[in-house]
Amino acid sequence: MIAVNHLQSYFKTEDGLVKAVDDISFELRPNEVLALVGESGCGKSVTALTVMGLLHRNKTVLKGEILFNDKSLLDLPPEAYRLIRGEKIGMIFQEPMSAFDPLYTVGYQMLEVLKAHTNLSIEKQKQRAVHWLKNVGIPEAEKRFNQYPHEMSGGMLQRVMIAMVLMLQPEVLIADEPTTALDVTIQAQVLGLIRNLQKNEGTSVLFITHDLGVVAEIADRVHVMYAGKIVEKGTVSQVFHHPLHPYTIGLLTSRVVKGKKGKELPFIRGYVPRAYEFPEGCRFHPRCPRKLPRCEHDNPPEISLETENCVACWLYEKGESA
Amino acid sequence: MILKVDKVKKYFPIKKGIFLLTAGYVRALEEVSFEISEGQTIGVVGESGCGKTTLGRVIAKVYDATSGRIFYTPHGKENNAIAQAAEIRKNTEKQIMKNYRKDVQMIFQDPYNSLDPRMTIGDILAEPLQVHKVCSSEAALNETVSQLLLKVGLYPEYASRYPHEFSGGQRQRISIARAIALHPRMIICDEPTSALDVSVQSQIINLLKDLQKEYQMAYLFISHNLDVIYHVSDWIMVMYLGNVVEIATPEALFEDPLHPYTSALMKAIPNWNPEERSLGETTLQGEPPSPIAPPSGCPFHTRCEFVMERCKTDKPRLSEIGQDRKVACHLRVQ
Repeated sequence: MIAVNHLQSYFKTEDGLVKAVDDISFELRPNEVLALVGESGCGKSVTALTVMGLLHRNKTVLKGEILFNDKSLLDLPPEAYRLIRGEKIGMIFQEPMSAFDPLYTVGYQMLEVLKAHTNLSIEKQKQRAVHWLKNVGIPEAEKRFNQYPHEMSGGMLQRVMIAMVLMLQPEVLIADEPTTALDVTIQAQVLGLIRNLQKNEGTSVLFITHDLGVVAEIADRVHVMYAGKIVEKGTVSQVFHHPLHPYTIGLLTSRVVKGKKGKELPFIRGYVPRAYEFPEGCRFHPRCPRKLPRCEHDNPPEISLETENCVACWLYEKGESA
Repeated sequence: MILKVDKVKKYFPIKKGIFLLTAGYVRALEEVSFEISEGQTIGVVGESGCGKTTLGRVIAKVYDATSGRIFYTPHGKENNAIAQAAEIRKNTEKQIMKNYRKDVQMIFQDPYNSLDPRMTIGDILAEPLQVHKVCSSEAALNETVSQLLLKVGLYPEYASRYPHEFSGGQRQRISIARAIALHPRMIICDEPTSALDVSVQSQIINLLKDLQKEYQMAYLFISHNLDVIYHVSDWIMVMYLGNVVEIATPEALFEDPLHPYTSALMKAIPNWNPEERSLGETTLQGEPPSPIAPPSGCPFHTRCEFVMERCKTDKPRLSEIGQDRKVACHLRVQ
């Protein structure tokens, strides 16, 4: 569906180029949920914004290619991009409260989308919008259609946003931390909804999150990002049961679990580096418990293993048994 | 015992119209009672709007309680606690109030908003020491600030830097240093790790636990994350819509949650095992009702799968069940 090859997104700032996303490649396959997981500042949201073509062209340097159904997106003029955005690739955002315009009813904002992308009559548009509000499990959809964003809760608005994006039946859905602002019980509802809609509609989903628990619940494959690079790729069960990269291992073990009560929790030492001060060599080396001398200056390439896993770490240079 | 909270209630009035008449109340907190002693951690868990932050703020005297009482045992009088306890209210004697504020400190959720961006780290840490006149000289003050930074795992050189130069985890360490500056007996930790990255979260929890051991502080640990609460707490209070619905030890609570809300909350947590996806089984439908017009009877009856006729009219009281355990549910308490 989407193939990203050697993508770089650099921001031009007063302090020089900030390498937010640095040479990443991945593909999103038909009918799958691919999770991009990483901590704040790892470039996962920038990746999503780049694919959507939402970055300011004059303030960023983009290199590499993004192919959508074998069509290169980065070369498209803004008008052509606009037709793909929304219609073919939809995106839902983290903060449902700030993603809507508070001055218009949610119905009006949904009709705006249909007006821009379809030729349906007003009645048909309204029918479709209400139908989709029902599809995402909103009770009293007709009444909700005429309500303003402030009259709804966060979970409800997130459902509206999902309806708004999916009513154009895009081939790809990019979900940027869609449940991070929600409570756990509501998060479970929304994740279940995304999962069901994905199955029913056959949409491919690029799911961006920092929460490994959410990844385990929803994804088919997962890519772990750290400091602007993808450090590990694999299917969910491979990554959760046999993590390879020391960073992935660190993330999985630093989870607070029951049964370890009273003992000190394992953790990754140090802090996540900021985008303008990424270290030389492997970007994880200052925090890595298994650092080799060459990690300090040589950036590890992506190493493919016999399984479907890929890992960017010198430990695996000679194969799987590191 | 440091603190006894007795049937504390907090309603926020809603003002309307040009005369600002009270049109109703947000019932943030309904009759919560508990006691906390040295070295103990009480975990408070619940979803947004359940009143857990309001509870912390009422105790820290950010808000005054609408009704109910808070008793505080001054230092050195813990033994005959109840007799010596002072009530904390609006017109409490100034000296007692001053001690109370020194003894009860707070750590906030968002380390980006809770540090003044125009003060250096040194000034931020020195402020409480100056207010309470703890240090006799400038040199002693600087020394104390350096010690505090070392204590939370930062370097003394950082004292001359500003908050924006630090990452979230480091800032939370600074907030912790500020909270322990006056050697408090109790810290209210309001979601101290929620804004942090996963890999940093455990560092902060470890630090808080080490400091607790060293200073024998009590923590009121507020969080929406059940895993974190399980790890740090001696007691857990589960809250829903301003009410405490269950109190238990972490082991008892996780092994056998008695209140239907507690078990629904546990089922909703992603379980980190791709082979055991549990999303489909989530039983909890709908959203919490508004605290402006809470449902009659049991606050949870609108979402409860075991709802009975009685639950709709009759509010269950938090009652003792077995040893060391309380639950507010008609299913469990006849």
